[in-house]
Amino acid sequence: MKKITSVLLASALLGAALAGCGGNNNAADTGNKANTGNAAATANSGSAAETPKVGVAIYKFDDTFMTGVRNAIDTAAKGIATVDIVDSQNSQPTQNDKVDLFVTKKYDGMLINPVDRTAAGVIIDKAKTADIPVVFLNREPLPEDMKKWDKVYYVGAKAEESGTMSGQLIVDYWKAHPEADKNGDGVLQYVMLKGEPGHQDAELRTTYSIQAIEDAGIKVEKLAEDTAMWDRVKGQEKMAAFLGSHGDKIEAVLANNDDMALGAIEALKAQGYFSGDKYMPVVGVDATAPAVQALQDGTMLGTVLNDANNQGKAAIVLASLLAKGETPTKETVGFDITDNQYVWISYKKITKDNVADAQ
Amino acid sequence: MNVKKAQSFVTQNAIYIVLVLLIMGIIIYEPSFMSINTLRDVLIQSSTRVIIALGVAFILITAGTDLSAGRVVGFTAVISASMLQIPDYSRRFFPDLPQVQVWLPILIAIVAGLLCGLINGVIVSKLNVPPFIATLGTMLIVYGLNSLYFDMDPNQSQPIGGLRPDFTKIGSGFIGSGQYSIPYIVLIALAVAAVVWVLFNKTKLGKNMYAIGGNMQAAKVSGINVSKNLIYIYAIAGALYGLAGVLEAARTGGATNNYGNMYELDAIAACVVGGVSTTGGIGTVPGVLVGVIIFTLINYGLTFIGISPYYQLIIKGLIIIAAVSFDMRKYSSKK
Repeated sequence: MKKITSVLLASALLGAALAGCGGNNNAADTGNKANTGNAAATANSGSAAETPKVGVAIYKFDDTFMTGVRNAIDTAAKGIATVDIVDSQNSQPTQNDKVDLFVTKKYDGMLINPVDRTAAGVIIDKAKTADIPVVFLNREPLPEDMKKWDKVYYVGAKAEESGTMSGQLIVDYWKAHPEADKNGDGVLQYVMLKGEPGHQDAELRTTYSIQAIEDAGIKVEKLAEDTAMWDRVKGQEKMAAFLGSHGDKIEAVLANNDDMALGAIEALKAQGYFSGDKYMPVVGVDATAPAVQALQDGTMLGTVLNDANNQGKAAIVLASLLAKGETPTKETVGFDITDNQYVWISYKKITKDNVADAQ
Repeated sequence: MNVKKAQSFVTQNAIYIVLVLLIMGIIIYEPSFMSINTLRDVLIQSSTRVIIALGVAFILITAGTDLSAGRVVGFTAVISASMLQIPDYSRRFFPDLPQVQVWLPILIAIVAGLLCGLINGVIVSKLNVPPFIATLGTMLIVYGLNSLYFDMDPNQSQPIGGLRPDFTKIGSGFIGSGQYSIPYIVLIALAVAAVVWVLFNKTKLGKNMYAIGGNMQAAKVSGINVSKNLIYIYAIAGALYGLAGVLEAARTGGATNNYGNMYELDAIAACVVGGVSTTGGIGTVPGVLVGVIIFTLINYGLTFIGISPYYQLIIKGLIIIAAVSFDMRKYSSKK
């Protein structure tokens, strides 16, 4: 009996390993989506000898937004670069190992989405020593690190802009709908669902969304604020508690992302909102597919799109130009370059009216 | 004599006394906390937790543990959600899947949960891997499988939304109207609790479970087929996580591969607070219910009165440690 089970266990391990390899081979065939091994890289270098080789390290493959960026990189790379996209598994040491691998393989360029923004300094040192230009993506290195070398670029969005825009969505609604001031005191009573405490995006979105409302000349009163960890289930539970303690006093719900906003909407539905006259403006950030559906259903007021397509496209175009030894310009990249090192991709406000932009 | 009695009462119920005081504190701070709505919200939020905690209780009573519970919940939430989207949703998981009967994906998800549990049981009883390690392994494997499934074309790791109303109704619908209505999900949790109570108290499996947890060697010697019973117990627990995953998807109207993350720890904590001994052999269904409800009440209460999330973590950590230390005193004083 013991023997049989060990044989079974051994074959299960073998099977899993084979399945993993199978996955890699497929990835190489279909455009190099998730390869980790040498097999895929060699397979590609044969077929596309002319285009520069760019090593791409994503901080974590199972991040929703970065998956969108990753797919955009993959699509935009066709014809301009041969990409080797790897997963850093949300661990900076793993990412540094991958960077070493890119250097060993003598790639022409690197596109790095750092796990930890402060680790970029070390990566820049490595890149400079090996003379491989590097583009950072989505998580901005510290300014002093960016100054270390002129072949370092950054592509990303200004996180505070997502906060500002979600605040503006509430402002637009408030100004167009006088009845939004439910108690008629001229003050906007709101609740805030924050992302992970201490997360830069969470703090910036929270601060800047409220600042945008105040900048528009509207007085605000915070009824409650709590973290729902970017999570839909927790968003729903926290909102239920907010409704329990503040009920109809709440005039707007701001959430740092769509998942939490969607959770809040479920909690609101349970209290009879979104049927008949009972309405609550709820805004999120990300423009995920379920959020787009909620916009169409009229339950979500608006969201802010972090433009994954343009981030991926700008980053890989930039990386391939640098890899070929060219100096990127506005014309060749297709996006404005600020301070010779930065490409800022704007967020977009999405409401029911322009929902097609997010699909 | 009376002093001794009082002392033993305090030792026996210390954790409940502390928690009742905490809840009273919340009520004094914010009297509006005491309302039918609070009760309703707490019961709804307890429902899926009760089902998971009952599954975990099965395993804790056999002196085991299950770290894979949360990830199994996430897996089954994704499985059920992926097959129950409205036909005109823009990003369907299976674009060509017809509108199947709602019970079918639910059944598939529960069976998937059951299989995960079954595998846990086989690893623990046949390969003799300690439960902590066995379920640590399956926790990772299940999350890996779920992420692979979730990343399949055309979904590519996007949150699954646009769930069918006949499905979400299970999570958000209710009998009756207004304040005094009873949500379906609460009824489902009660029904599950009743079934588990019968399994614990009226079946041979239940008796064997307590015997195995009390003293596995003695159970073996007295002729109980320990490995068969363990496999059944892990499989039942897995099916309960499967049901909980389905309900989480229905309740929130969506799912991602990150659903259920760390739920096992909440469930273990609630079991411990409810008097299930982590050393095995002891635990009751009403105890688990009380443990879960107290935990949810505190969770909800702290948010209700607006305590900073950092303090919430510290308070919850202290409760778990206090619960186990009181638990240990209780049983060491018996010996």
